[in-house]
Amino acid sequence: MIEKAATAEKRPLTHTELTDIIDLCLWAGQMLLQHGANSLRVEESVHRLGTGLGCNWLDIVVRTESLTITATSGDEFRTKTRRVVRLGINMGRITDLNNLSRRVSEGQLDRFQARAALEQIDRQPGVYNRWLVVGMVGLACAAFSRLFGGDWPVFGVTFVATAVAMLVRQELVQRQLNPFLTVAASAFVAGLIASSAAWLQLSQQPQVAMSASVLLLAPGVPLINAAHDLIRGYMSNGVTRGVTGLLISMAIAVGLLLAILLTGAGI
Amino acid sequence: MNGWLVAQDLLWSAVAALGFAVMFNVPRRLLPGCALAGGLGHALRAVGMELGLPLEVATLVAATTVGFLSEWLAKRYQSPRIVFGVSGVIPMVPGVLAYQTMLGVFELAGLINLSTDPAADELVRTAVLGIKTGLVLISLALGIIAPNLLFRRQQPVV
Repeated sequence: MIEKAATAEKRPLTHTELTDIIDLCLWAGQMLLQHGANSLRVEESVHRLGTGLGCNWLDIVVRTESLTITATSGDEFRTKTRRVVRLGINMGRITDLNNLSRRVSEGQLDRFQARAALEQIDRQPGVYNRWLVVGMVGLACAAFSRLFGGDWPVFGVTFVATAVAMLVRQELVQRQLNPFLTVAASAFVAGLIASSAAWLQLSQQPQVAMSASVLLLAPGVPLINAAHDLIRGYMSNGVTRGVTGLLISMAIAVGLLLAILLTGAGI
Repeated sequence: MNGWLVAQDLLWSAVAALGFAVMFNVPRRLLPGCALAGGLGHALRAVGMELGLPLEVATLVAATTVGFLSEWLAKRYQSPRIVFGVSGVIPMVPGVLAYQTMLGVFELAGLINLSTDPAADELVRTAVLGIKTGLVLISLALGIIAPNLLFRRQQPVV
């Protein structure tokens, strides 16, 4: 018995309904934040979801590590905060959640169907198996080495270095090591293997292999989101994301430095 | 720059964009769009630089094109813009510049020893590399959200 979001007059929700809806909104917002959506998208999607499910208004405070929502309906209102941890980019989930909030705001789903849909999105495993990801990421960074003017031996070395670094990263992420340490360790492994281009004398341009094989760790999404947030007026989130990106870059540098010091390569 | 070189550039950057899209768990049906955006963006930048544009400006032009392309792809495939935008600019991320900046910093700190130039030259070179890295990154971000900034001014949903 959900009313269309477009209708101006909405039936006041009961306390239970409001509790349920704010819970759904927090869940959706939490997933969006965890998987790499920018602040504006989180706020808009959550707002659409909440008003689509029958609230008159939602005030949403988006921070990079927590989410607070006040939902209003009639004379009732409820406020809840949820902690947001873990960062792993997952565009598939962002796409699904985006579609969900659109369908809800068009009045296609009530709150029970929305909960079922959210449960399904939350349960969904990654689209690609880990070995395919390892291979594709290896190929991507090897392609980078070509763009940077590397020769074919460098292409091969970069592929192997990146693929192994990706495996290391997957393992460490699974073991929930600190994200910066994970990046530093992966960069170290990538640098170590990439430097073989120098000490096996496979190529004259080991520096191309070194720089291309750590690109899988480059904080592209945090930095792009940082700029987006700053321009869109989410100042503190923009600064936070920017600093995160900077720290990740520094972690890459530390890992590489260790590899360079150990092997003497990298010039 | 002849057509063959541009085609090669396009191919390799499309592969790079595709690989990152897979890592970001982009749904299968959106992968071709990501590869297209990545390939076109980087090839366009290469052409721009060949025509004499500075790296940063060529990047801004190419990233803005990727931004508009993502807008169109997002409408076509009913999906968030960011999927195509991020995958599309990934090939343009200044990896080598960042790497050289980092080496310069370590050199200045005396951790590694690559050149015998005076420290002052070293400092200037590293600073220039760092500034370029930053400017390219800003160009990328501005380019992706350009359509959003220019044409979606005020319709406050929130």
